[in-house]
This record gives sequence, structure tokens and C-alpha cells, in this order.
Amino acid sequence: MIRGSGLQKIYGKGSVEVRALDGVDLEIRKGEFVGVMGASGSGKSTLLHLLGLLDRPSAGTLVIDGVDVTKLSERERTLFRLNRLGYVFQDYALVPELTAEENIYLPSKVRGMTVKECTRACRDILSLVGLRERYNFLPGELSGGEQQRVAIARALVNNPALLLADEPCANLDSRNSVLILDLIRKLNRELKQTVVMVSHEDWHRQYFDRILYLQDGKIVPDPGV
Amino acid sequence: MLEEEQVALFLASRLISRGNKGTLLLTIMIIAMVFVNLIFLPSIIAGVVVLFNQQTIDYSYGNLVIEPRENTPVIGDATKLVQKINRVPGVVASTPRYAAGATVVYKGKSTTPLLIAIDPASEPEVLKVHTGIVSGDYLGEGDTGQILIGDTLAGSRELDVDRTPTLGGVEVGKMVDVTFRNGVTRQFRVKGIVDTGTAGSDSNAFIVRKDLMDVLGREDEASQILVRTRTTGDEDAMRILLMQYGVQEKIWTWEDKSADFLQSIVGSFGIINFISTVVSLVIAVVVIFIVIFISIVYRRKQIGILQAIGIDRRIIIKSYIFQALFICTCGTIAGCALLLALLQYLAVYPLVFPGGPVAPLLDTGLVVQSVASLFVVSLIAGYVPSWLTTREEILSAIRG
Repeated sequence: MIRGSGLQKIYGKGSVEVRALDGVDLEIRKGEFVGVMGASGSGKSTLLHLLGLLDRPSAGTLVIDGVDVTKLSERERTLFRLNRLGYVFQDYALVPELTAEENIYLPSKVRGMTVKECTRACRDILSLVGLRERYNFLPGELSGGEQQRVAIARALVNNPALLLADEPCANLDSRNSVLILDLIRKLNRELKQTVVMVSHEDWHRQYFDRILYLQDGKIVPDPGV
Repeated sequence: MLEEEQVALFLASRLISRGNKGTLLLTIMIIAMVFVNLIFLPSIIAGVVVLFNQQTIDYSYGNLVIEPRENTPVIGDATKLVQKINRVPGVVASTPRYAAGATVVYKGKSTTPLLIAIDPASEPEVLKVHTGIVSGDYLGEGDTGQILIGDTLAGSRELDVDRTPTLGGVEVGKMVDVTFRNGVTRQFRVKGIVDTGTAGSDSNAFIVRKDLMDVLGREDEASQILVRTRTTGDEDAMRILLMQYGVQEKIWTWEDKSADFLQSIVGSFGIINFISTVVSLVIAVVVIFIVIFISIVYRRKQIGILQAIGIDRRIIIKSYIFQALFICTCGTIAGCALLLALLQYLAVYPLVFPGGPVAPLLDTGLVVQSVASLFVVSLIAGYVPSWLTTREEILSAIRG
């Protein structure tokens, strides 16, 4: 599903050079729920940005779903993000002027679905995340947990090969965090959705099939095992 | 409609309808003001030019001016020529005039105005000087020994009020001494004071032509015959027609006669107008650009997120262009409404210029040009900032 080899991400130059990722090799199989953990500044988010095609590696190769994404043009990367990736941000990142349904509708419409197909897909996915009744609510009218569920629905609407979640529970209380983690776990189990999730919460470990532990930009054995 | 445009329109419509209404209204009002600014001053200038033109026709020249042939000082048999001219189709009326220099003295105050000898019967059919009587009466056909004095020439009794030599406040019924170029002096009774609002008429004195002919010892002569035609604007065609009807004298249009004066006015107004238009357009560009740029900078993170979830940058750019065009359309409509309200107001309370009230003259071409300019500006203002923001690294945009 994902194969990364010698992934490097270097910021700055010369004496101010920062190696956020320093030769990361990784392999994630289809249907896995992988947690990316590590201390602050260890390179967790940088790795997720590379996997989400939000950034380009300084060196190394990255193959996702059979495509060497390091060789894609900007437009191809955009299309790849639209069609094969779903990204869940820490702060939900919903468009505040769009309702829950419209936030989900947007990527599906861009993908070329008809309005009818889009609406059906939106309602289905909202039912899946338990927000069918709140389809017409603006993000500001939803709780943090509900907004994050909408964000997950938006990430899933195009049936992505890979769901990436960047600390999706960081802004949520423990009750909502459990709801979100349970939901992601359910999606992973029932839909065989491959998930890579960044987290720094130790209690999240129980949800992951496997953990990639990062330290100083390198994958090291998980000290929690 | 294409898929991309549909999504861009969807996004734009939601961002507008659910965005900050206050900011939206303010932006629309700014564009409305810019639109009014683009049109109002040129309209006033156009109104002033029309006023000057109309005054030139109504108080100085009529539509056409017939003058003596080459090497001939005056037009002889003026009445006969007037009758000939009046028979030409399209001519409403014509009137002979004889302009002469003279010195007018009243209570020791002396001045040398242009003394115009007129035929009081036909003159009102060509010019509107008679409508400007502010005191006394207009000259009648048999009013020999009587004089009509322009308001500026009559002057004021108060000291230091008059800027030009005047008769120091002469009034109706008073007698003035008029000394003609040939040295003959005669007394005239002031029959009326006329104020037309035009420098050309209000600085002159008018007597009946018969008086002047007596003084000069001539008969039925004129230095000019003024012609009023049925329509204004076809003077060149009328000139040719008069020639075809056998008028061999020199024929000028009112535009020919006032060319220097009008061209300098129109030229100066043209420069003011050009500067005003350029300044207004620059203001429009800057204001619309800043407003939309700020709106986009404010939504920089959102643009980054949209790109992150796979929305193509072209869709995002188009959505901002649609927003800019929507704002521009609303601003233009509001501007039109504002302009119409302003025109209504000025129709009731007109701007008073020397020479009369001025109504702004709306030029459709200018309105179209202004609307087009605003749309081009909005297009640029919507495109450039969104293009710049979407060219940024996605992560930089998301981090704000």
C-alpha cells in the first residue's frame, strides 16, 4: 500500500539545516491502522505531510497505491489527493461558510459526481459518522467532536485508498476522542480502510495495529512495547 | 456549464451568502462610490459644455451667422437678404444686427461697450436676450431714442463692486449719452436692463437699428444676420442649403464663431475630466484590489485546506473571480441607483453656474466604459491575489 524508502525532509541550509526526517524506510499494508507516535519535534507531522502529498521529500522515494508520488506534477498531486487520499486535520479544517453536507459535497462534486450522486454519497457518509440529522448545520453550530466527524466524512467521501489523520483528537475532550477513535477504528475494520494516524497520546496505542515510532526524524523501536 | 465553473460558482455563492455581511456591504458601497465618482464629474462637465453651447446659440449667435462678403464692410439691403434667408426650408427666423463701437456716459461714468443695433421685431425669434429683462422692458420696433443696457454694463451704485468699467448703477428711465465713432453724440433713455447670464450679452448695449442707421447716415445695413434653424446640429447642412439658395455672403456656424472660446473651455474640462477619470480608476483598482486581497489573505488557511483536500487551484481562483465579479455587479447596480438619486436631486436643486443651472448629462458611452473598467479591475483584483495565494506551499497557507 505504502512503501517509503530513504525519505528525508530537510529544512533550511548549512548551519541552520534541520533534518525533520532522516532516512525513513517504511511499509504499510492495505487495511492496516498504523499509529505514528513520538515526542514533539520527532517528525511525525512531517511524515504525514509527505504521505498526504502536502509536502515533497528532500530525498527518497514514496510509492502509494502503486504510484511513485515523488514524480507527480503539482496538478497530478492535487488529483491524487482528491481521488486516493483522505486527510483529517487536527483543527477539523472545515469551510465555515459551508454546511456539514456542503463540506462533504465539495470534494465529491470536484471528482465529477452528479448532484444526485453527491447528495446520496454525502447523506450516506453522514449516516456512517452518525450525523445524518445534522447535515444542514454550519460548522460553527456543531461541537468539536461533531466537526471532526464531518471532517472524517469529508475525507472518506471519495473512497480514498488511504486515510491520514493528523492528531484528530488533539482539540477534543476524552469522551469525544473515544468517539472519534472508535469511528476510525470501525471504518478501518468494516471498510478495510487503510489508516495512518499521528498521535502523541499513549492511550491511543490500543487502537493501532502497529506503531511507527519516530525519534529525531528516524524510525526507532517503539519504547512503549 | 463546465464542472469546474459549477464548483467555483457553488463555492463563491456560499462564501458570499454566508460570509461577513458587513464587509460585503461595505465593499459594495465602496465600488458604488467609485462608480459614481467615475461618472459624476464627467456628467457635470458635459452639462456645463451643453449649457455653454446653448447659451452661445440662444444669446450670441443663433445657429448660423451671415457676414459681409470678402472686401465688403457691411451687408447692404439687409431686409431683402433676411427675407431670402427666411424662405430657406429649415430656417425658423433670421434677424439683422449692426455692431458698432460707442462711448456711453452716465453721470460722469464713461465706458465703451459694444453697441448692437437690432431689429426688435425679429430679434426675439432668433435669440433669447429678451427673456433676460430684469428691469424695465425690451425694445419695441418704434423705440428710437431708447437703449437696453446689459446688467454688467449697467453696474452697481456701490463703490468697488464692479470689476469692469460700468455705468455705475444706471437705472431704467435714466438718460445716457452715447457718442458714436463718427463723433455724433445722442441722448438715449434706458428702457430696460437685461441679465442673460452670458458675458457676451450682459456687457453690451442695444439700440434699434433705425437709430444707428440715422446716426451713420446709412440705410438698411447690417454687420451680421443671425439665423435660427429648426434643429441644432445640422448647421453644416444648412450652410450648404443657404448657399444653394443663393446666399453669397460668408456663412458661419455658431461653433465656428465661438471656436476659440469653446475649444479652450472644452479642452480644459477635457483635461480635468481625464485626470479625474484616471485618478478614479486608480482608486478603483487599489480599493477593489485591497478589499479582495484582504479577504483572500483572511481566507489563506482555508485556501490551503481546499488545496489539501484535492480542490484544484483553478477552481479556487475562479471562485474568487466569481466573488469579485458579484461584488462588482452589486456595486455597479448600487452605483447606478446612487447616481440616479443624485441626478433626481440635481434636477430639483440644480448646480448654479455663471450662465445658468447645470444639469449633469449622462453619457451612455461613459457609463458602459465605466462598467467595463470596473469589471476588468474586479477580474484582476479577484485573479491576482488568489493566484498568488494558491501558488504558495500548501503547508504555508494552512499555517496562515
